[in-house]
Amino acid sequence: MSIGRDGIAGLILLAVSLVLLVQSFQLPSLPIVPVGPGFYPSIVLSFMAAASALLVLQDLLKRRGLAAASASEAPRRNYRLVVITFGIVGAYVALLPLLGFRVATVLFVGALQTALGRPRKVRQWLALAAIALGTAAASYLIFERYLLVLLPRGAWTGF
Amino acid sequence: MLDLLANGLVNIAQWKYLLPLFAGTFIGVIGGSLPGVTITMTVIVVLPFTYGLDPLAGLAAMTGVYVGGSTGGLITSCLLGIPGSPASIATTFDGFPMARNGEPGRAIWLGVWASVWGGLIGALFLVFLTGPLAAIALEFGPWEYFSLFVLAMAMVAGLTEASLLKGLISTAIGLLITVVGHDPIGSVPRFTFGSEFIGGGFPFLPVLIGIFAFAQIMTDLEKLNQPRGQAAEALVGVRLERFSHAKVNWEIFRQPFLLAWATIVGLIIGILPAIGGSASSVMAYDQAKKFSKTPERFGKGHPEGIIASEAANNANVSGSLMTIMAFGIPGDAVTAVMLGAMTIHGIQSGPLFISQNPDIAYGIYAAYILAHPCMLLICVVLMPLMLRVTSVRMAVLAPVVLVLCVVGAYALNNTMQSVYVLLLFGVVGYVLVKLGFPLAPLILGLILGDQIEINLVRAIMTDPSPWLFLTRPISGGLLAAAAASVALAIWQHVRHQNRVAEEAPDF
Repeated sequence: MSIGRDGIAGLILLAVSLVLLVQSFQLPSLPIVPVGPGFYPSIVLSFMAAASALLVLQDLLKRRGLAAASASEAPRRNYRLVVITFGIVGAYVALLPLLGFRVATVLFVGALQTALGRPRKVRQWLALAAIALGTAAASYLIFERYLLVLLPRGAWTGF
Repeated sequence: MLDLLANGLVNIAQWKYLLPLFAGTFIGVIGGSLPGVTITMTVIVVLPFTYGLDPLAGLAAMTGVYVGGSTGGLITSCLLGIPGSPASIATTFDGFPMARNGEPGRAIWLGVWASVWGGLIGALFLVFLTGPLAAIALEFGPWEYFSLFVLAMAMVAGLTEASLLKGLISTAIGLLITVVGHDPIGSVPRFTFGSEFIGGGFPFLPVLIGIFAFAQIMTDLEKLNQPRGQAAEALVGVRLERFSHAKVNWEIFRQPFLLAWATIVGLIIGILPAIGGSASSVMAYDQAKKFSKTPERFGKGHPEGIIASEAANNANVSGSLMTIMAFGIPGDAVTAVMLGAMTIHGIQSGPLFISQNPDIAYGIYAAYILAHPCMLLICVVLMPLMLRVTSVRMAVLAPVVLVLCVVGAYALNNTMQSVYVLLLFGVVGYVLVKLGFPLAPLILGLILGDQIEINLVRAIMTDPSPWLFLTRPISGGLLAAAAASVALAIWQHVRHQNRVAEEAPDF
């Protein structure tokens, strides 16, 4: 009997729900309302804790042989690209209030396109630059100028 | 009522509404036809554009996306053998074989026309049944609402393919997200850990966009360098053969029962909260096969399969709109975004929505009806472009979609906090998908969480007896249906397990 992916997920969720459940019992009760602010969360968390515990149990009782066989047949996934993409999105979100929407978006679209499919010819680089500039310009013009929706300003750039 | 509808149609026919409707329908058709871009994603992308528009113009654009997206998916289904959006999954079964048999034009146009007719028949129900449904909803007290929400969650959790348990946990996570912040009755902070960042709770739309869009895009990026399953046989850039639109329509109307039944199946699935287009398409296809005189031809390019699937997925849209307008609860993730947009404009949905906002309600009906001719026009004029659009690279699409997600979150209240929430829940959504947790129940929990709590507390404040949830007839019936739904899911799961055990004996 060994623990698998579901079991670990179940244990984490069980721990989270138990910690929050204890907190929900400590919430103050209100004088007029018959049930306090902790009433509903405690129902949700008890349900989540019970379901998570069952998930752990189900995982422990599962036959590993079948799972291992099917896992080996699964196609290879490009997780590196996912990590890089999250990194670039994270950098974009961090830079938005510093560089402003226009500059940060040009950099973001350019960087992510390069990460997802590095251009090889000059023409491809030009297309990449055009898409990056075009996305930033079009979204700025449509949102700020036409729809009057404000976009982030940059603390460093001033616009 | 017909006067109001006529007013609505005249109203929507003005440029300030017709243009967003047309643009929304166009973007919907394109988004629907792009593999990996769902209708929900398309409506999320359109969302920030609606912030600066008049409420009805924004809702018309979203209705257009919904109708266009439900049709657009069939182009990819027929040409690539991959559904452009989950709603057109069953179109693939016969659309792709028909296209490979040398009739891509017939396959695509059967689907487009079936979508138009299914959608327009659905419109009749939308216009004439939403009012009576809202009247029923007015009879609902907090007990009934609570039980209805529980039923919706039980059905969605039970429908998840992976595991019922994971579906239920996913629902609980969605509910838990809504609990963070101040409680709705006494404004007591809950689970905020003294942080200002989450002091006000997590804003609904950034959480929804983060979970949905990131999970979808990242899962697509994982497969970026893999060959597409049936790409070798795909028909990208194909020229459609010559065919007659009259003949295609004759094929559809030769079997009025098929069209009517598929439409009703789609409509009912749409009305049921949070089930969505893919289930309506598959269920109507299944029904068509059962009632067909030639079931053996299904899966080999049979027109009946395409008609059933496409009529159902467009009728599903009218069903979802009925639910949101009569009960104020979203029929699926697309209407959840619409509900969010309504809230931003200060419009309260629910049983009183039609009587309090007749201009907007009948405007939505009119937008839904007019979206169909718009969609038809777009398909007629732009079909050559759409045949090429299916080959747009993910490297171009992903950055643009992500920028619009960030704009959608930021523009909500012009703070970076919403963008941080977007990113946080983007990571959470992706991790949950990788751990095999379905997102549909989580999103439903997220949508309904506040309402469930408010109705539960309101019911207890009115009468502390918990038995009322069971003894009030409608509430008791809804809870019994919820229990039956979970029991059915467990029974199906056990039956499936036994079948697997029989097929793979333990040596």
